[in-house]
Amino acid sequence: MTGLSFQGVGVGLRRPHLAEVAALASSPVPFWEIAPENVVGQGGKRHRQVMAILERDPVLTHGLSMSLGGFDAWEAEALDNLRAFLKTTGSPWHSEHLCWTSHGGANTMELLPMPFTREAVNHTVDRAKRLQAELPVPFLFENVSYYAELGAAEMSEKDFLAEVLEGADCGWLLDINNVYVNSVNHGFDPKAWLEGLPLQRVRQMHIAGHWWDEEEQLIIDTHGAEVIDPVIALFEWVLPRIGRPVPVLLERDNNIPGLADLLAERARLQAVYDRALAPVLSGGSRG
Amino acid sequence: MAERLQALQRTMTDLLLDADGEDAFLADPAAFGAARGLEGPDQQALARFQRRLRVYRDLVQGALEDPLPDCFPHIHRILDEADAWEDCVKAFIASRAVQSPYYRDINPTFVAWLADSGWGQDRWPFLLALAHFEWVELEVLRWPETAAPSGLAGEPGPDRCAVFDGAFRNLAYGWRVQESSGDGPVPPAGPAHLVCFRDRDLDFRVLEVDPGSSAFLARCLDGAPAGEAATGAGLEPAEGLGLLARLRREGAILGFS
Repeated sequence: MTGLSFQGVGVGLRRPHLAEVAALASSPVPFWEIAPENVVGQGGKRHRQVMAILERDPVLTHGLSMSLGGFDAWEAEALDNLRAFLKTTGSPWHSEHLCWTSHGGANTMELLPMPFTREAVNHTVDRAKRLQAELPVPFLFENVSYYAELGAAEMSEKDFLAEVLEGADCGWLLDINNVYVNSVNHGFDPKAWLEGLPLQRVRQMHIAGHWWDEEEQLIIDTHGAEVIDPVIALFEWVLPRIGRPVPVLLERDNNIPGLADLLAERARLQAVYDRALAPVLSGGSRG
Repeated sequence: MAERLQALQRTMTDLLLDADGEDAFLADPAAFGAARGLEGPDQQALARFQRRLRVYRDLVQGALEDPLPDCFPHIHRILDEADAWEDCVKAFIASRAVQSPYYRDINPTFVAWLADSGWGQDRWPFLLALAHFEWVELEVLRWPETAAPSGLAGEPGPDRCAVFDGAFRNLAYGWRVQESSGDGPVPPAGPAHLVCFRDRDLDFRVLEVDPGSSAFLARCLDGAPAGEAATGAGLEPAEGLGLLARLRREGAILGFS
């Protein structure tokens, strides 16, 4: 299956929904997204359900723990498992996060912020190229939510992202919720931020809900609630500017609702997607 | 090679994982960074983002703790009621034992850490046995399937070797861990010989066996023919063959070679 086959709004395949989804005659979504780390090397009843769904339905893969901006070596077995899973699923690309997750061998299981420095750009570009060389499909990376700068910044997050994208010559998984989260937490205009970046590199998008931490006056990127209206508005604004019907993934990792509710939210986002891209797909101006 | 970046990540990792990382960082973030090789501007940035960098500590500690109460409900209850759960988790996280890229490996890493560190076992001597038994259910349920070799016989015989499913476990504990419950999570002292496996419906099963049957199964797992294994374990051959036939029916044994 090629990347061109992936359009519309998909959903992350989650454990509470496996039995229900596996029992359906066909996929209820244009595609699923799944983290290989949660599937490879497993067996049993749930694993059979996952593999049956992935065999039946289109899937995109999204990794969690490559620690792209870190220093720890990738385990040969983990890379072998990932390559085999990419082959099994036929995912047209594999995405990871522009962050680090482990240091000195210790895994934090959290997406940690990169310092916005020249040294970090060079290091991350080098790691991204090396990871790309290990994978059988194109590699995309995702802009992450960050709550604090790590060390003295030498450039903005936007410039850091642009330089890594260009330096590594990678595709971009644009997480529109993360753009919004960062714009609130760090006080910038998300539209101006997006206009300054190479949207032609966007191959996929993520959209999600989040949580407002009243005590810290900070949005935490929990993926634990429905997508809020300002994020949907930004989503609708950016789609025609990307100008292509890239696949969009609705993320939900916490407070996971029933499948019907999640699919209803997906349908609402699909309507926004269709409306926003209608002028582009019909050859009209983007307005 | 990217020494400043390494120092920044080392500093952040110590803040996130060390038992005293939060206190030391909040007391003096610049000194915290200086001790880890950071220079003036980076030290000042740590101080400027002090409060928000601390948020990451909560997120990381939460992420690493999150799977444990579900996997180890009895351990969680016992330690929580003794106000010791947080200390246990904090020590586990500070050990930096979690190194696998797979989130699911946090649970077995916790068991391995209890075995290595001995944490809490002077006060709760059953802790490791109970943790291991609580983990085994998930391990068995999720164990990768293996295809049965071709040409296996369906019935056991004295000269035949049992081919076990990869998820089969023959376990012996000094605590009757299988008797732990929500109302009484502390296991009684006493030997427990348990076989755990995935049945034909892929559900978890646990059977208590006598010591002789446990020794017999251990020999079978080592590749001994059933008759020889029974003799070595002091078991009547017919009894051993009957146990193997039952385990075959229930899905724990793939067949006999």
